[in-house]
Amino acid sequence: MKKNLILALSAMTLAGSASAFCGFYVARADATLFNDRSEVILVRDGLRTTITMSNDFKGNVKDFAMVVPVPTVLKESDIRIVERRVFSALDAYSSPRLVEYWDDNPCQQWLYADEVEMADMAVAEPTAMKSSMNRKEKDYGVTIEAQYTVGEYDILILGAKESNGLKQWLLDNGYKIPDTAHEVLDPYIRSGLKFFVVKVDLQRLQASGFDFLRPIQVRFESSKFMLPIRLGMANSSGVQDMIVYAFTRTGRVECVNYRTVKVPSDRNIPLFTQQRFGQFYKDLFDRSYKREGRNAVALEYAWNVTPSFNGMKCDPCVGPPPMPREFAEAGVDWSNNGGGQVFFTRMHVRYSRDKFPQDLFFQVTPNTEHFQARYILTHPAKGDLSCAAGQEYLEQLYYRRGREMDELNALTGWDLSKERNYVEEVKGKMSPERRNSLDQPFLPWNGPSSGGPTPMIALLLGLLALISGLFSLSARRNKAYA
Amino acid sequence: MLFILSSVRHFLQRDARHFQIVFLSVFLLFGTLVLQWDVRWSRYTVLLGTSLAVQALFIKWKALPWNSLKSAAITGLGLCLLLQAGGLPTLALGATVAIAGKFLVRFRGKHVFNPANLGIVAAILLTGDAWVSPGQWGSGPALLFLVGSAGSMVLLRVGRIDTSMAFLITFAVLDALRSVFFLGWGLDVWAHRMTNGSLLLFAFFMITDPMTTPNAPRARIIWSMLIALIAFGTSTYAYVHTAPIWALFVLCAFTPLLDILMNGDRFSWLAGQEKPSASVPQEGTRPGSLLAIEQTMQ
Repeated sequence: MKKNLILALSAMTLAGSASAFCGFYVARADATLFNDRSEVILVRDGLRTTITMSNDFKGNVKDFAMVVPVPTVLKESDIRIVERRVFSALDAYSSPRLVEYWDDNPCQQWLYADEVEMADMAVAEPTAMKSSMNRKEKDYGVTIEAQYTVGEYDILILGAKESNGLKQWLLDNGYKIPDTAHEVLDPYIRSGLKFFVVKVDLQRLQASGFDFLRPIQVRFESSKFMLPIRLGMANSSGVQDMIVYAFTRTGRVECVNYRTVKVPSDRNIPLFTQQRFGQFYKDLFDRSYKREGRNAVALEYAWNVTPSFNGMKCDPCVGPPPMPREFAEAGVDWSNNGGGQVFFTRMHVRYSRDKFPQDLFFQVTPNTEHFQARYILTHPAKGDLSCAAGQEYLEQLYYRRGREMDELNALTGWDLSKERNYVEEVKGKMSPERRNSLDQPFLPWNGPSSGGPTPMIALLLGLLALISGLFSLSARRNKAYA
Repeated sequence: MLFILSSVRHFLQRDARHFQIVFLSVFLLFGTLVLQWDVRWSRYTVLLGTSLAVQALFIKWKALPWNSLKSAAITGLGLCLLLQAGGLPTLALGATVAIAGKFLVRFRGKHVFNPANLGIVAAILLTGDAWVSPGQWGSGPALLFLVGSAGSMVLLRVGRIDTSMAFLITFAVLDALRSVFFLGWGLDVWAHRMTNGSLLLFAFFMITDPMTTPNAPRARIIWSMLIALIAFGTSTYAYVHTAPIWALFVLCAFTPLLDILMNGDRFSWLAGQEKPSASVPQEGTRPGSLLAIEQTMQ
């Protein structure tokens, strides 16, 4: 089998209309608020954290506003606007990938090129926000710690004494706040967090020539290394997706209060999956999310991306590696000085209020093991396969395709009963003797396969029960002796 | 079948360490197979192999009974559950320090540091290549049940349930006071923190090592409350998520002091099977109980 890789890219599609990140969107006036997929770049260097939040807000920009809790009062120099393409570049580079291989014809020798595709994955349903508040209060207990204009944004850093005052202040100043926001605002206020409040200055936006909102980047020093997701869940009962692109000097970033689990990777899947690769990854992710109990953080990519790193940067690469300029833009300021390793971790969190009661806390580890979400297509050999080796190959191909179907069914739960021909067509090229000697039959591949952790948990609990039974027996025996 | 069951029962009954080995192995299998930890079997092999080999060397050197290999197996399994590293030499170093520490750092015939804990601390501090993943178990009531019941079975036998409970209750009360009453988070946030698998495993299986806890029950309670206090403070205010491990390391250094200040019986794994030594007071020992005088060292 020839494994010779050449790159090709396919376009990425994004579903959904708007996205949010750690904060919630608070629309002014009556605009509807959406929480959907959000993207965050998280750079951690010692105690310094740089967070870049993508504003994929598709509503009327004049309605855009957001509130993000931050640990310190940010200085103006700590707030930047960065270009949206940083996110596309990082996303393209670290996306789950489909790779193709071509089998050699054992009766001949051929060379082929391979192809790579990226997954699209934007899910979660948009959720409308409700709000109704009338209370008037003059003393809000809210302090405007700082006020800046950065690019097209008007930025306030608010300190507050208690949530009702803050809520009222925001309402009276034209922000819409979900009713349930106070249950998270209070803990944040008492933890000493400040509130980074952003809205769009329309005149500046027009002057800037951009017709979309550019990502905002903030930087601060704090021992807290976390993303405050609870605020974003205040106005949503559904699930939200967040992609975190994390960069460190040492190694992988992992979550410390939820499990960080690799998505299934390096799986051989049938050729017809190529046309629906986006759907494939969505379904795979969904299934893996459910299997892990809906409360784990999925690892999608982990790699040393140091510009001077000579090792393999990806296998295969689905986009050009991030350039020094993009690193600098993302807040990785140590890579340009020629010094220091840059380690890239991509995490995908699907979170909901009931399964993620705590904000996400992270730690930097020295773990530099590489990982990527990678799925493999293998094209059959072409040409005449009537020679003995060719017939042997066809038999192997027949069984291999059966395994690919099993794998696809297990990964996505797709009903593959209509795709049986993918396996059966191989028989057409076999000699009658070979065909009759095949083992039969394969599973029907219809509907979700069983399995998952449940039987294993039952087994372990059973074992535990057995041991406890023995223990109680032996304890009783001891008593009898005494 | 009945014969197998009865021999399994006798095996477990003979030594509380058998229980511990079985449970730690179950946890390891659970993590590897169900939680799908990022596992390389070479890691387990190195940790367990080094622990057993180093213990064997010391057994030879100090002419100790061979059954103390069980303790090394427990340490090795504990390290498998906790210690992660980029390279195998780091793991070997951790396991070596863990076991050697038992023989080299001693006070009044008792080792000072919790072996697995010492190994982890040494690997992290000496190499910078090691880490602990507090999130690897996740959180959930099932974990509380699983770890709690397994832990209680062992601890009731070795008489260290007090240590566990003092730690957990102190930690839970402190966290409830801060998270729920002071900050105003919902009870689900508190419950999520308290059912963290790593915290439970630490409380039931790590700090309770009977050889490194203070001898006197009162001293043990104070000792584990202090661990909880330090761990809570460090994790809450300095965001050190592996705080319990560091807190235990620090407090172990004070165990000898507590043993001097408060009298208590030294622990033995093989209670009822050996003769008590004359030099240590014997009050509190019951025939057939595990709170007898130490005969074997580990």
